[in-house]
Amino acid sequence: MSASLDTQNTVRELSQEGYKYGFVTDIEADTAPPGLDESTVRFISAKKEEPEWLLDWRLAAFRAWREMTEPDWAKVNVAPIDYQAATYYSAPKQSAGPKSLDEVDPELLAMYEKLGIPLRERAALAGVELAGVAVDAVFDSVSVATTFKKELGELGIIFCSFGEAVREHPELVRRYLGTVVPQNDNFFAALNSAVFSDGSFAYIPPGVRCPMELSTYFRINAAKTGQFERTLLIADKGSYVSYLEGCTAPQRDENQLHAAVVELIAHEDAQIKYSTVQNWYPGDAEGKGGIYNFVTKRGACRGARSKISWTQVETGSAITWKYPSCILEGDDSVGEFYSVAITNNRQQADTGTKMIHIGKNTSSTIISKGISAGRGQNTYRGLVRIQPRAHGARNYTQCDSLLIGDRCGAHTVPYIEVRNPSARVEHEATTSKISDDQLFYCRQRGLSDEDALSLIVNGFCKEVLKELPMEFAVEAQKLLAVSLEGSVG
Amino acid sequence: MNAVVDFPVKPEARGYLARFVPDDSEPGWLAARRQQAMTRFAELGFPNRKSESWRYLDLQPLENQPLLPSPAAPRADTAALSERLAHLSLPEAASRLVLVDGRFAPELSTVEPRSGVWFGSTAHAMRERPDLVRAAVEGIEGDEAHPFAALNTAFFSDGFVLDIAPGVTLDRPLEIVHLGAGISESSFHTRSVVMLGEGSRAGIIETYAGEGRYWRNDLVGVLLGQRAELTRTVLVEESAAAVHLAQIEARLGEGARFTGFVLLLNGQRVRHEANIRMGEGAKCVINGAYVVTGSDEANIVTVVDHTAPGGQTSELIKGVAAGRGHGAFQGRMIVREHAQKTDAHQLSRNLIIGQRAVIDTKPELEIYADDVKCSHGASVGDLDETALFYLQARGIPADEARRMLIDGFLREAVDTIEDIAKRTHLLRRLAGRLAELEG
Amino acid sequence: MMLEIKNLHARLADGREILKGIDLSVAAGEVHAIMGPNGSGKSTLAAVLAGREGYEITEGSVRYQGRDLLAMAADERAREGVFLAFQYPVEIPGVNNTYFLRAAVNAQRRHRGDPELDAGQFLRLVRATLKLLDIGDDLLQRAVNVGFSGGEKKRNEIFQMAMLEPRLAILDETDSGLDIDALRTVARGVNGLRSPDRAIVMITHYKRLLDYVEPDYVHVLQDGRIIQSGDKDLAAELEQRGYGTFADAMGGDAA
Repeated sequence: MSASLDTQNTVRELSQEGYKYGFVTDIEADTAPPGLDESTVRFISAKKEEPEWLLDWRLAAFRAWREMTEPDWAKVNVAPIDYQAATYYSAPKQSAGPKSLDEVDPELLAMYEKLGIPLRERAALAGVELAGVAVDAVFDSVSVATTFKKELGELGIIFCSFGEAVREHPELVRRYLGTVVPQNDNFFAALNSAVFSDGSFAYIPPGVRCPMELSTYFRINAAKTGQFERTLLIADKGSYVSYLEGCTAPQRDENQLHAAVVELIAHEDAQIKYSTVQNWYPGDAEGKGGIYNFVTKRGACRGARSKISWTQVETGSAITWKYPSCILEGDDSVGEFYSVAITNNRQQADTGTKMIHIGKNTSSTIISKGISAGRGQNTYRGLVRIQPRAHGARNYTQCDSLLIGDRCGAHTVPYIEVRNPSARVEHEATTSKISDDQLFYCRQRGLSDEDALSLIVNGFCKEVLKELPMEFAVEAQKLLAVSLEGSVG
Repeated sequence: MNAVVDFPVKPEARGYLARFVPDDSEPGWLAARRQQAMTRFAELGFPNRKSESWRYLDLQPLENQPLLPSPAAPRADTAALSERLAHLSLPEAASRLVLVDGRFAPELSTVEPRSGVWFGSTAHAMRERPDLVRAAVEGIEGDEAHPFAALNTAFFSDGFVLDIAPGVTLDRPLEIVHLGAGISESSFHTRSVVMLGEGSRAGIIETYAGEGRYWRNDLVGVLLGQRAELTRTVLVEESAAAVHLAQIEARLGEGARFTGFVLLLNGQRVRHEANIRMGEGAKCVINGAYVVTGSDEANIVTVVDHTAPGGQTSELIKGVAAGRGHGAFQGRMIVREHAQKTDAHQLSRNLIIGQRAVIDTKPELEIYADDVKCSHGASVGDLDETALFYLQARGIPADEARRMLIDGFLREAVDTIEDIAKRTHLLRRLAGRLAELEG
Repeated sequence: MMLEIKNLHARLADGREILKGIDLSVAAGEVHAIMGPNGSGKSTLAAVLAGREGYEITEGSVRYQGRDLLAMAADERAREGVFLAFQYPVEIPGVNNTYFLRAAVNAQRRHRGDPELDAGQFLRLVRATLKLLDIGDDLLQRAVNVGFSGGEKKRNEIFQMAMLEPRLAILDETDSGLDIDALRTVARGVNGLRSPDRAIVMITHYKRLLDYVEPDYVHVLQDGRIIQSGDKDLAAELEQRGYGTFADAMGGDAA
């Protein structure tokens, strides 16, 4: 058997190891009837006891959405989505929101344990591990528990579910909601704005360095439930926050739609680091089932010297369509995008970023690593735009693609649009396959096929993985089916 | 104009549709094809910025004031045109075929007959060798999705045809000069064909220039047999008010080689599109450079489709945008599932020297095979400060140093032209253009 | 006086002060060597004298042949006869080496009011100069410094220097990283240039070049100041004892 055939088999074996997060939690749900019209929007808003202004905001979004059509420019084949067949609200049935972890459905907690999320606050955690992780877990549409709330509260940090933020901090929500991703920004963002159920909210006050990683774990559980969470994160002047987002979904046959919106706002001298590990159900080897992950993520560097850094490891979903972006408004602001995207079997990913340079001396870095195996299709699509006033702007982009097997595809589509003569933009892209020589070399040194592949893939992604916070890097490496090669970080 | 109008017609297509008159003297296959293409264009209208490969070109000048096909060939002042030709043409050319306002001008042309070579105007070929024209028109699709190619099929009146028998090698380049005489504001739709038999070799240089306001819509079909080699050099120095939209559709046979070079120096809107389909083991080089200034726009758009194994492609495109000029490169490399061992590389390098100039670049890889070597690179920036200082430290004044660097930057692309006569000629034209460039 | 530097202070855009009061006088006919460890300000001094942007002169003056050198643009300084041999000669793709040099020579001639050289005259001068320096002509048809080896780049600098016949030549670590043959070429170039109406300033980390080109004066640059001056024996001493000792010796004074 030739080495390259071995490689393909290894990949196949890895993928057939199965989706270990594919279990369904049996919980009674409070679910909206399927379908989408204004009454659905009103139902959701009423369920959540929202103020009038937010209902109006949702309705405006819904009306905009009705006039829009699905984007067709991405390099993905999407089976038509029946928006009327989906369910837009599903909440675990409970009399009232949980006051403490003890009130949370034990089955839920058990599920999180299966996922390996350190939901329970353990005193030891803070002492033993590098940093604690505050978790805001979103179970289908409702945030079930937020940990470390008290500790954060003492620093003036607000970290809670979106619904709670609407109740407790309406002025902040109202001031920032939709300012980075307007309701009518695109088809999926408009849909989200109309029917978003819950999500996470964080506000870091001026000068505060958030002492722990804030984290949200998303899970799509109920069948046929579209999940539309919304995240709003504000880093006030001179503050710092690192935010982790992880996603898993049980294995189901029908495609489930996930259309989230994430808005980040960084004021003067503030820094936001936003990391995502996405391992939603990718569908089976024949492409049946799997999540449609159509997400709008965007950050605004509003203030001078602010910085937003996106790191993503995208291994799941049947279709991924996301472009975490930075609007670099403040002078000397910095945007970063580090991405690993893996497509296997029939997975399709069209992902990348937009770096919009508006302020002077703004700079951005894009490092994208795409890995295609099986019949996967992997596209990097990115925009670097230098606006006329962005004097001295800089961008460096590097996109590398790795092909494993001869039936997959790797595509690179950069848009570079420069409107200022003092800007400097550089883009490089390469496409290669795992070489038989590399594999042979590893095997000759005694590594198994699997380990050899992991080793090479891990090396290929290293520049991105090292950007992940420690807690995530480990999980990401597991996801890449990679044995630890030295320490990451 | 009754039979064709039972479908929705785009407003911008109406004037063209009204000009469309079937010519009874033409063979049936051509008449049918023209009719079909006219219908297509009427349906499609002009491409807008939402169509991906036109997103960086502003066609307003054409939309605001239509430039309809001229019904008859106007007679121009031969003496004045001869003088223009003297500056533009390549002294070393073996034969020169001149088209004035899209129609063959025998009095300005010198075509040396040679055995194994058919070289003449498209209008002439339609009388003498309709088979060649038919093979090219029907053998090269391209007007299905492309509105201006469809318009070209509907209206083309002339162009040139070069057909070379297998095994024949031309030592000296053939020259084709397309002139706009500046007599009437209209559009010239030229259709040309290059067919090289197995193992034959030829080089051509095409120059586009003119005066006044006009729209040139040029379509060239290239069919290269096994191991045939064609070198095509294009120089665009249209008038400052001209719209130049050119398209080349090339099909490369097994082991064939196409070497294209394009230098875009002048014109209000200039677009050069090359669509190349690669056979097994075919080789393709597309290099080029553009200079835009004033509020001009220039686009280079390439699609190289590797459909069989072992293809090799390299592209180097250099752009300079001065004043409020807008330059763009869109290059797409496709490697199909079975096109293993493809080697494809693109490089787009750009300089912005005007405070309000704009550069867009979009190199694109679309790869469905794994055993390939593909890469692209793109950069946009201004002149290298260190190099500027180095030149000044040797006593060269700032202005001159800047000009030297711009010239050197573009020269790197022009220097890839192997034929010394062509290279020298293009460098001379380039230097002339740079001398008048604003900052 | 050819060059007269008084209390020269210079800093980078980020505010870091690199030159902290340089005093140096160089008369026509003299060869000076400036030695010092890495980071002492040697290359900054060269760059400031040649007029490179990015440095702010906060104090002091530089007079060149009685004129205010700092008031002149970089190209004007060059045409007035100031030549800097770069530590890292710049690669300029697409610009032919010969064409570049002819542009430089003619810019200088125009400046002096001499007639420009035509292609033939220029080429004769090139050939003669190459021969004098014993350099091959293989560099001529290539783009400026592009793809040159380290030695070729330095030879090209010396070749340019010989062609431009400067009044004041500043060599910034021209000897670093050279094999013995290239070093001889450099030495031949510099020695050939020595004359009563020219001055040469060699900036170097090592004594090596000074074995081939004997300096009249040696200065030690440390932390942005000249901390000691002497004759060529100082270089030998420096080689033996190293910069560390010197710095230590000066420690008490500097504190």
